[in-house]
Amino acid sequence: MQEPELHDLSDNAEVVYMKDNVSIHHAMLASERISGRLTLFKKGSCLFMAWIPYSNAMVCEKDRIVYSIREVPLTEVRSIRRHTGWQYIIVVLASGLALPPLYLYNGGVKEFLATIKQHVSIVISAEDDNVFLVNDFQNPLTTIISRRRQKVHDHHARDLSIQVLEKFSLVTKFAREKTWQPFCGDSNNVSDRSPVLSPLGCDEWYTLLDSQGRIMDSEALRKRVFYGGVEHKLRKEVWPFLLGHYAYDSTYTEREYVKAMKRAEFETLKKQWQSISAISPEQHIIDKDVVRTDRCLSFYNGDDNPNVDLLHDILLTYSFYKLDLGYCQGMNDLLSPILFVLGDESESFWCFVRLMERLGPNFDRDQKGMDPQLLALRNLVELLDRPLHNYFTLQRNCLEYHFCFRWVLLQFKREFEFDKTLRLWEALWTHYPSEHLHLYVCVAILKRYRSKIIGEQMDKDTLIKFISELSGQINLDGLVRDAEALFICAGEKGDACIPPGTSLTAC
Amino acid sequence: MPSRRRTLLKVIILGDSGVGKTSLMNQYVNKKFSNQYKATIGADFLTKEVQFEDRLFTLQIWDTAGQERFQSLGVAFYRGADCCVLVYDVNSMKSFDNLNNWKEEFLIQASPNDPENFPFVVIGNKIDVDGGNSRVVSEKKARAWCASKGDIPYYETSAKEGINVEEAFQCIARDALKSGEEEEIYLPDTIDVGSSSQPRSSGCEC
Repeated sequence: MQEPELHDLSDNAEVVYMKDNVSIHHAMLASERISGRLTLFKKGSCLFMAWIPYSNAMVCEKDRIVYSIREVPLTEVRSIRRHTGWQYIIVVLASGLALPPLYLYNGGVKEFLATIKQHVSIVISAEDDNVFLVNDFQNPLTTIISRRRQKVHDHHARDLSIQVLEKFSLVTKFAREKTWQPFCGDSNNVSDRSPVLSPLGCDEWYTLLDSQGRIMDSEALRKRVFYGGVEHKLRKEVWPFLLGHYAYDSTYTEREYVKAMKRAEFETLKKQWQSISAISPEQHIIDKDVVRTDRCLSFYNGDDNPNVDLLHDILLTYSFYKLDLGYCQGMNDLLSPILFVLGDESESFWCFVRLMERLGPNFDRDQKGMDPQLLALRNLVELLDRPLHNYFTLQRNCLEYHFCFRWVLLQFKREFEFDKTLRLWEALWTHYPSEHLHLYVCVAILKRYRSKIIGEQMDKDTLIKFISELSGQINLDGLVRDAEALFICAGEKGDACIPPGTSLTAC
Repeated sequence: MPSRRRTLLKVIILGDSGVGKTSLMNQYVNKKFSNQYKATIGADFLTKEVQFEDRLFTLQIWDTAGQERFQSLGVAFYRGADCCVLVYDVNSMKSFDNLNNWKEEFLIQASPNDPENFPFVVIGNKIDVDGGNSRVVSEKKARAWCASKGDIPYYETSAKEGINVEEAFQCIARDALKSGEEEEIYLPDTIDVGSSSQPRSSGCEC
């Protein structure tokens, strides 16, 4: 292990705190953590923090530059959260973005905070005594001073937040590239810290079950699926768990029982509408919609395709099962992949019911499901992409985010090729790392096209058209990871963007 | 060449699910028909350049979701419309019966300045189906309804075969133009509908 060299810190810096073996330990990195040196230093009257990785075999010089956190002025830090137990700190910047957690395995958090306190105003948050607010002045006079100071730094702060985000994306990308090769084929090591990027296969799946068929570590499974997905032929086993149809701790026998009971219940439900001769208006719409649902797939194409009939029967049964919600256009898009994967009518119905428990409110007549989601999206873009938010603010009616309506309602079903949708959905359904990850996926897509949107000065109508025409054009590769990186960057500030009661990706 | 001031004309297509709104729009703009259209979610539009004497207009045609449940979104998309097209399927009585609901809903949501004189055009689509044998709404009945609603222009079309689609949209464009620029422009009986479609719109009147 090599010491960080002097030129890692700028000249005329007076180091006031230094801690070695402080690590970035991000979940997506391989089991090796990246260690480095955390410092606080003064330049003139200003205090700065920095974390520079050691150069060693694992981290080459180029990547050290990528990982390094250099010269973050404490004036641009909003708060520091400490975690006791495993000691780590999360530094939240004035913009609301968080730096990756810094792990101090050998202690030193207390000294870190004490040193800061000697130079900068720092108080314990009234809401959480593990959160230290930096520059949180209660005195009106100092508030004014602070505001003036902030004004001077405003431009810089914004740039810094983007830099941090971009740096983090690079880290994400780096981790992805580094972990892909060594872990492909390494199928029996689902440890907490080694996300495997090849899809979960049958052999590995059975190692996750105990002799009775219980999933031994559901969190490890969810994480495994999030990073690697599931081999297609195994999906029919795994999806019912992800959707909550089967409990993770259920045994083979219990699942057989549930399956049989639910099948009988489904048949009873189905008989309800089969016994009614009158055709409801909803049935008309279902008739129209099933014949235009994914018909280009061989599974659904051709005349008199029995799978189209299954699609019809399940949707109609659902409209009787949930009379208050009924059938709504778009449900056909949500059911289609489930039936495609599971094949079985009753199993597909119940998995669809589970999915709709979370997504159902999005179909409410008065938009009370969609409005909070689009509002949350607006808040997240404001947090994570200020330039884009500012652009939308200047356009008329862009802050309603109607152009993302279909993304959210159909969970990107129309935006990607069918097989990519399967991969995306299973990642979203894991709820790892967040049950609202679909909103971060929206932000990640918008960020990709931000320069085009702003560069071409798109107004609301042009944006609706542009986004509509992105259908099938968006590359899924890296998108889930980008969304995860955005989620991590946003930290608790991101949670605050999402109104309580906002419906989730799925159970 | 006289100056070509560009103007945007906004048209909204409404009607029950599956009557062929997307197909009509695509037949008119792209001269294409597909059996593979998916149910429209939210709203989308296509644009087409139409020429009237020395002036070029961009016709912005909004395709909407057919399920009544999505109508609370309508207000966002209907704003600033110059003409509203009401579509029904001649083989479905229900889709015809609903025309009045669509018309009323549009006037509530779009709240045009002069609702009494706001231009509507009615299209009875799918006249090709089963050689006309499965037709349940007669032309006479449809025309009577249109007459009772203040002489709404009426067209019967097949988006699939491309029958009468061009004519219907010429009328739509003319009425939209009349609505948008009534006081400024003298209107001839016909307009020349440009053959090239432009993918970009020039502005926003939402």
